[in-house]
Amino acid sequence: MSNQETKIAQLDAEGLTLKSVSLWQIAWRRLFRRRSAVVGMFILAALTFIALAAPWLAPYSFDEVLIGVEDVKAREKPCIHLFGCEQEKPQHLAGIDGNVRDQYSRLLYGARLSLMVGFSTVTFAIIVGTSLGALAGYFGGWWDNIIMRFMDVLLAFPSLLLAIAIVTFLGPGLINALLAIGIVSIPAYARVMRASVLTVREMEYVSATRALGGSNMQILFQRILPNALTPLIVQGTLGIASAILDAAALSFLGLGAQPPTPEWGSMLGAERNQVFTAPHLVFYPGFMIMLTVLAFNLIGDGLRDAFDPRLAHAS
Amino acid sequence: MKRKLFALLSLLVLASMALAACGGAPEATEEAPEATEAPATEAPAATEEAASDFEGKSLMAADCDSTGIIKGVEATGEHEVTFTLCQPDPAFLSKIAFSVYGIYPEEWLEATAGEEGRTSEGLEKPIGTGPYMVSEWSRGESITFTANPAYWGEAPSAETLVFRWSTESAARLLELQSGTVDAIDNVGPEDFETVSGDSSLALMERPALNTFYLAMTNTFAPFDNQAVRQAIAKGVDRQRIVDTFYPPGSEVASHFTPCAIPNACEGDPWYEFDPEAARAELAAAGFPDGFSTKIYYRDVVRGYLPQVSNVAQDIQAQLKENLNIDAEIVVMESGAFIEASSAGSLDGFYLLGWGADFPHVTNFLDYHFGAANPQFGDQSPTYTEILAQAAQIADVAEAAPLYAEANNAIREYVPMIPVAHGGSGTAWRADVTNPQASPLSNEVFHVTDPGGRDVFVWMQNAEPISMFCADETDGESLRACEQIVEALYSYEVNGTAVQPALAESCEPNDTLDTWVCTLRQGVTFHDGTTFDANDVVATFTMGLDASSPLHKGNTGVFEYYDYLWGLMNKPAE
Repeated sequence: MSNQETKIAQLDAEGLTLKSVSLWQIAWRRLFRRRSAVVGMFILAALTFIALAAPWLAPYSFDEVLIGVEDVKAREKPCIHLFGCEQEKPQHLAGIDGNVRDQYSRLLYGARLSLMVGFSTVTFAIIVGTSLGALAGYFGGWWDNIIMRFMDVLLAFPSLLLAIAIVTFLGPGLINALLAIGIVSIPAYARVMRASVLTVREMEYVSATRALGGSNMQILFQRILPNALTPLIVQGTLGIASAILDAAALSFLGLGAQPPTPEWGSMLGAERNQVFTAPHLVFYPGFMIMLTVLAFNLIGDGLRDAFDPRLAHAS
Repeated sequence: MKRKLFALLSLLVLASMALAACGGAPEATEEAPEATEAPATEAPAATEEAASDFEGKSLMAADCDSTGIIKGVEATGEHEVTFTLCQPDPAFLSKIAFSVYGIYPEEWLEATAGEEGRTSEGLEKPIGTGPYMVSEWSRGESITFTANPAYWGEAPSAETLVFRWSTESAARLLELQSGTVDAIDNVGPEDFETVSGDSSLALMERPALNTFYLAMTNTFAPFDNQAVRQAIAKGVDRQRIVDTFYPPGSEVASHFTPCAIPNACEGDPWYEFDPEAARAELAAAGFPDGFSTKIYYRDVVRGYLPQVSNVAQDIQAQLKENLNIDAEIVVMESGAFIEASSAGSLDGFYLLGWGADFPHVTNFLDYHFGAANPQFGDQSPTYTEILAQAAQIADVAEAAPLYAEANNAIREYVPMIPVAHGGSGTAWRADVTNPQASPLSNEVFHVTDPGGRDVFVWMQNAEPISMFCADETDGESLRACEQIVEALYSYEVNGTAVQPALAESCEPNDTLDTWVCTLRQGVTFHDGTTFDANDVVATFTMGLDASSPLHKGNTGVFEYYDYLWGLMNKPAE
């Protein structure tokens, strides 16, 4: 332990003496020092790998029905040769689902969807939310009033309920669910952005740019935005977790991904009645959702601490 | 404040009761003594006297053009009702026993008619002659019934009957296992083994008197092409669906109507599964690469479709694999789905089924393939005409060739693909006597004794929509009504044969177009009024006569009165 600390101290000392260290580098280092964040990143890396390599990792296609292909029944328990399943039986690591498909393959393909859902909704929400927040914060006045009151209205609804309402209006489907979750998460980013802009816009370097004749756009995107980025990153990482959870909830209710899409939430929802007779069909998708959300939460927490200057000396 | 409100309410209730009593009083007081006297004194004289005092009402259509099958319902005596029909109806008794035609007291029908629709009193606390009376309906939770002390038949074993519901089969089973309910409906297909292996539970398999079909509305392209429909009929492996997703006791549908019903399976059986031929036919019809469409369904478990989503996904996979048809799955809300499907406005496949209301072939074929039913788009005269003809023949053997012809015409035209007759099951605690699994899903609970307990708790799939069943179609609602309201005939417990209930007998004339029903005497309704022929006339006036002020229900559609009899004086559309 002490050995490690001295090493880090040396590293820090080197950094200070040899070259200047940017805020990002410090944050990065601090992030790696937090074990929970490292675990989160490890899980995320594994999930990303699974998502990218799903076609090669999965023994079957996600929509391949095995009736007549193999001698398996619907909702058969997992058969793993390593754990004593008979060698003659085909191996199914996570069992067979209600439509006689390989559950393991569907779980792997599901990683793609969940990560895609998380990143795309949050990207959408960040783009829209930061633009609105930046406009509100920078221009103030009635811009501020209109935009932020509208955000307050969005925030007044329970987010999942609002998402359900939007999906009901647009019609069920994965894209519509993504849009709904995206819309629901806009206010969080708009608020964070507005708050940052409000603090940054009175800074001297902003005044300097304005004095030098910089346009509003220049000031906003080149001066203010980069300096307001840190809280957004933290908020975004944690937002991915809640977006994945919301998407799973929508799919569970049958409003998100439509069959045969292997979305974890919909897999869980489809087999919820079999929780006692075929627990593997409910356990694995639930576990995957839990794992993914956990990964993003750990990273998000780590990032928040890493970016927080007040915690700099605490660690 | 509260006390004042309560006082006002009770005053109102009292006032309305007084009003109702005044309205109904003369008749009730005049009849009651005679009815009780009748057996004691000289029988013929007493009944004659009663008949002369009794003012029989009647419901009579002007002519057969302004009504459906029933031309008139007439109280021809205090305890005699005559039904005049516009055409012979061989299924009359099977139909009249259906709980939708349960008899309500005349005064009550008038009192609850309401301005826009039946009052909430009428929808939630119906008055009948049945073994149980509604005591409380707490919406969303349960319905409590208490035994009717004056019931004319076998007295109910349990003093209190409770209806509960849960859409999840796993939740229902859990409640049964923990002993909080005495019996559950629709055991999940995967739980059949669990229940039959548990000595403290009893499994009752419900005979498959239902049909699950894959429908196509033929007013939308490409389903307007008969060759396309035939190709699809050959391209769906129905055996695979039944083997994988249906509980034991289910079978692949060879005809639309389950074969247990007389004349159901005349004619050729359905197409064999033949993917190559199907693909070739689809290509010949102009779709070598398939097409894109949708599969609509509601996520509601019924006996005919125990695993809705799985079956939909399997059909989706089969269509893709066998015919290269891309079908997107669309789950709809139950009410919206029924509305859209029965109006024929769904532009793709849809999954629906039918459970027998009364065990007669007309209940399956005439309802679905009548000329007026738009649920499959345009119906073909090749079968509608034969069906109308066959519905007028009472003799089973005589009608057989016509049903063979109609079944073959349906097979040729393919308005839908009959897939399966789904077996289902109920589960009971082992100490309950007389467990039931009625083929018609109309379990009656006064004949079951819950192991000596005072309360019998039944758990079904869903909450009743309303308990004014004259205007309901949902089986979950009808079952609740069957405990309260009785019709002239009823079905045997656990069977499909009819037996007299409020009528002692109904006899037809030779041409089957006039039925005279002799009513049971000394029967009283839950509110104490005596049952007589005028109640029967009033009930049928309420159900049949669209111009009557009594014709008020929950939705006001009176679907079963309309479909099985045809409404009288229907407003022009």
